[in-house]
Amino acid sequence: MKQLKKWIILGVTLALLGSLVGCGKTAETSKAADNGNTSSGSNDKNIYRTLDEIKKDGTINIGVFSDKNPFGYVDENGDYQGYDVYFAERLAKDLGVKVNYISTEAANRIEYLQTGKVDIILANFTVTDERKEEVDFALPYMNVALGVVSRNDKVVKSLDDLKKDDKIIVISGTTAETYLTKNYPDILLQKFDSYATAKEAFENGTGIAWANDNTEVIAFSLQNDGYTVGIPSLGSNDTIAPAVTKGNTTLLDWINEDIKKLGEEQFFHKDYEETLVETYGSDYKETLVVEGGKSAE
Amino acid sequence: MDFVYIERVLPLYKRAAVLTVRLGIEGTLLAIVIGLFCALILYEKIPILRQFVMFYIELSRNTPLLVQLFFIYYGLPKTGIMLTPEICGVAGLAFLGGSYMAEAFRSGLESVEDIQRECAYSLGMNKVQIMRYVVLPQAVSTSIPAFLANIIFLLKETSVFSAISLMDLMFTAKDLIGLYYKTSESLVLLVVFYLMILLPVSIIGTVVERRMQYAGFGA
Amino acid sequence: MPDLGLEVLQKGSNFIRLIEGFWVAVEISLFSIAISIPLGVFLGILMTRKNKLIRFLTKFYLDFIRIMPQLVLLFLVFFGTTRSMGWNLSGEMAAVIVFVLWGTAEMGDLVRSALLSIPRHQYESSVALGFSRIQTYFYIILPQTLRRLIPVSINLITRMIKTTSLILMIGVVEVLKVGQQIIEANRMTSPNAAFGIFFVIFILYFVICWSVSMIARYLERKWS
Repeated sequence: MKQLKKWIILGVTLALLGSLVGCGKTAETSKAADNGNTSSGSNDKNIYRTLDEIKKDGTINIGVFSDKNPFGYVDENGDYQGYDVYFAERLAKDLGVKVNYISTEAANRIEYLQTGKVDIILANFTVTDERKEEVDFALPYMNVALGVVSRNDKVVKSLDDLKKDDKIIVISGTTAETYLTKNYPDILLQKFDSYATAKEAFENGTGIAWANDNTEVIAFSLQNDGYTVGIPSLGSNDTIAPAVTKGNTTLLDWINEDIKKLGEEQFFHKDYEETLVETYGSDYKETLVVEGGKSAE
Repeated sequence: MDFVYIERVLPLYKRAAVLTVRLGIEGTLLAIVIGLFCALILYEKIPILRQFVMFYIELSRNTPLLVQLFFIYYGLPKTGIMLTPEICGVAGLAFLGGSYMAEAFRSGLESVEDIQRECAYSLGMNKVQIMRYVVLPQAVSTSIPAFLANIIFLLKETSVFSAISLMDLMFTAKDLIGLYYKTSESLVLLVVFYLMILLPVSIIGTVVERRMQYAGFGA
Repeated sequence: MPDLGLEVLQKGSNFIRLIEGFWVAVEISLFSIAISIPLGVFLGILMTRKNKLIRFLTKFYLDFIRIMPQLVLLFLVFFGTTRSMGWNLSGEMAAVIVFVLWGTAEMGDLVRSALLSIPRHQYESSVALGFSRIQTYFYIILPQTLRRLIPVSINLITRMIKTTSLILMIGVVEVLKVGQQIIEANRMTSPNAAFGIFFVIFILYFVICWSVSMIARYLERKWS
């Protein structure tokens, strides 16, 4: 009898889950319909907040990394710092609202936008076609490709000369993970869910190399002794841009306008000077910075 | 529901489930060994070792597995102790489970009345024999329900293994959400796979518990 | 003695931040337990009822909550609810919901067994004395169960505090995340900070949970 009960429990659970997912689908479609047709019922609220709603509220929620020095991290006084954060501060200032930073991990970025947990993601978010289907990207503010860093005593110069059981560290939800999964399915990946844990493990001797945005691995090799970026550029040249929830056009248009305006005062060059020069020196300035939303290509 | 996607990722979930179960079993077996030793030390009141065991039990019961794992996997290498994630996971689970198992066995041992030991002694058995033939068989069988509850608890606790980069069910689901953005499907698969692992154990648990109750009436 | 990274904690407000991060976890657990206790008492009373449907539903609830790892529940609530129901929950809110669901289930089970441990004649005597059902519970049964319950519910608090460490995984900035941030910001100056920081966090959890379980043990001895 008790066993029977357990199996009934299993069945009912599955049924519940099924209906949950079913609801999910209808909720999503009704949402999509709502976006297309603004005159529909107001009780069907959007996931995202429009520009006016954010202004009225007086606070904007921006998702940033809290463990990705020098792009987004927290200093010893508990304040958010870095290239992304510098930009976030400015966006909020131009909008006339306060910022509420929300710490995010790479794999959560899309999810946070789609569930309205943040208004903007400014977490070194690389623009890709797959991601474009899920969120809306604004104009870019940084160039990026992939790179691979390894220890000085065993520099990995090409992904083809890896041995069979060599493991490469990647962070779950990054473009490096997608790229290697797609193009090098035979390479063993050791996945971590945050920058902090990945770097800690790499430093402790895990894995033969670490693949990530080349900006990040270059920074890592410059900040820490004993590491070399054996593969400075891998995959396609991409850009990094702010992202908003799909359909949030008011906010998206405003960000684009602001980025164009900031180009006139060379804002991102200044951002680089303030946040990145300490790590990179001035050598990478022109290759990294995208001003006024105009990428080199 | 995107069934094409589900079919595509199913092998990944299977692999993750195997890892979860394997590490869970390894950790649990070690925990049983540790628990049995600790319980015997406490029961026989062996000096010094007893204090040590008591300290270990307090330490292990009053800290979360996640924090233990962070310390073992990310902290310890700084002192030169470098372990693979799998070993860390099993070690952490055994460290945590050992104290729970010890408590289960101890209450089992204490449930055997003194008179049985005295009888066995008067029959001419020595200490080891009494333990082996009289006390342990009874103690182990009374502690089985608590023991099974601990196994479920430990299997559930393996879900934090994702923090030390082990591709268990939890991390697989999380990773796939990040890769393909199919949240609903990934979460449903996650729940289904955990149910497939944990329900059988739980059913065995209830059956055994009821058997034990019936057995109890005869005693 | 190699540098084990404890000096990082003296920099800026690092140590205070670590404590604040810990407080986030403790706060969530205290908040959840405060809601769970009344709900759990109610659930526990429900579970002793003879009604088959109520029994089945409560048993189902208890079994489901107990069989799923808390981390899975956190994920379901944190990511699943927005998808299926359009709720937008912060990590903290999702954590409170999950811990209340879980705490209520555990508490309910504790209350149920405490209620069942009250001998039948207590109920019968109070009926004979003309008490109504509600009066019986309020004046006779609950005061007796409360004594048995307090130590075990304090134990539940320590379990709750331990389990709140999981909120790291749904992105709540708590003690482990603050620890990681500190390690990250000081990677260049003190590369061994990971040892010191995670050790301190380990000790923090131990000191708090151990003191709470000591209180529970003291009460248990005093009242049993």
